[in-house]
Amino acid sequence: MRKFLLPLLFMLLFIAESLFVQFLPADVLGQNRILAPRFLFSGLLLLTIFVGRKQGIIYAAIFGLIFDIVYIEIIGIYLFLFPFVAYLISKIMHVLQANMIVAFVVSVFGIALLEVGVYEMDYLIHVTNLEFIDFLNLRLYPTLILNAAFLLIFIFPLKRYFEKYADALRDE
Amino acid sequence: MPQFFLNKRLIILLVSIIVLVALIGFSLREREKLSWPEQFVKDTTGWVQSLVSKPANYIAGFFENLQDLQNTYNENKELKSRVEKIASLEAEVQALKKDNSDLRDILGETKTLRDYETQPATVIGRNPDRWHEMIIIDKGSLKGINKNMAVITANGLIGKVKSVNQFSSTVQLLSAMDPKNRISAVIQGKKSNVYGFVQGFDNKEKLLQIKSIPSGAKVEKGQTVTTSGLGGVFPGGLMIGKVVDVKTDQYGLNQMALVKPGADFYDIQNVVIIKRSMTQPAKKDISNGKEEEL
Repeated sequence: MRKFLLPLLFMLLFIAESLFVQFLPADVLGQNRILAPRFLFSGLLLLTIFVGRKQGIIYAAIFGLIFDIVYIEIIGIYLFLFPFVAYLISKIMHVLQANMIVAFVVSVFGIALLEVGVYEMDYLIHVTNLEFIDFLNLRLYPTLILNAAFLLIFIFPLKRYFEKYADALRDE
Repeated sequence: MPQFFLNKRLIILLVSIIVLVALIGFSLREREKLSWPEQFVKDTTGWVQSLVSKPANYIAGFFENLQDLQNTYNENKELKSRVEKIASLEAEVQALKKDNSDLRDILGETKTLRDYETQPATVIGRNPDRWHEMIIIDKGSLKGINKNMAVITANGLIGKVKSVNQFSSTVQLLSAMDPKNRISAVIQGKKSNVYGFVQGFDNKEKLLQIKSIPSGAKVEKGQTVTTSGLGGVFPGGLMIGKVVDVKTDQYGLNQMALVKPGADFYDIQNVVIIKRSMTQPAKKDISNGKEEEL
């Protein structure tokens, strides 16, 4: 049962992102601001922080691939960036203590890294022609605010669940 | 130097960057169809998504209805005044339609570029990363949907079908930046029509750009823009939007019109897919053989 619960949780976050965008009104934070939900990736980062690097990177790669196939139709962007940022975050967590405040700050930082990475890649393959300064104002800051709010609400239950999961893994 | 190559992580990083570039290159090229593993994953997730999103649609609809109730009174007043005009307009349209079909019968040209069949569909997902503006709908090739069909809402054109699976398909919205996304459009003037291409979307102003309008043509604010049907893929007469501004383009040779889209690209729940009745001309009919020999 426990084995299915973790993929199910991520699948739920995966679909929640799409539903959130579908039902969100166009201008929440004023004109033309773009809020991109990164609920799935927040969950993956917390998994990396509280359970372990190996699980984090494997889940990041699998869900990155599914994300690419289902939503983007360009395979490679998230398949590469999800595990890459998860790896960097796990490196950072080597020197830091895994408590809730640190996890929060590091996760927000990870989401910022991901956003910038995706922007650079999309700029490279001409999916967008937004200037970097516009990207910061229109997209990065609102996105970070949204995901920080998501993390504030869900970091506590997710942390408890992941720590239980880590304990169970150690017992086996 | 040997130490450099023994660094396992560095090698993994380099290999994964090569794989990444190869994969992106593979998926960026013009593909007729998605490969079957992709179709399988998309259909499976599409099924799960429709399980979740249909109740969600229902709940959202309920709250929307509640909101609508609040301004029913004002709306009703306004609508009443419009209904009176509609009756006479309808009679006129009927007469014109009949006239048109009679004349067509005489000519023997029964098919027009405007004829199409429709297939309604529900939106079950939307791309959350919001760079690639795409939505996922719950009808696929089993319902006769093909690549490049036009997709509209009640208020106008929103995009075209980008890829088709068995039970679901992906729609690329007009707001997506894609140089291959060119739609032949017509700006309806009082005396004569002006033709151009919908090409690009201004992300800051949320306006569509219609390019390649001849510099002599007269385009005014408030004119209606529809599809022309001359592109060979979309039928004619689908509403796109209204002109809000006209500029000369960057080289000063042509004009560019900025168009406010009639459809809202954000709050989309139900769409209609348009199947063009008139067949697309085969390539060899368009270009004559002589040209190709040159």
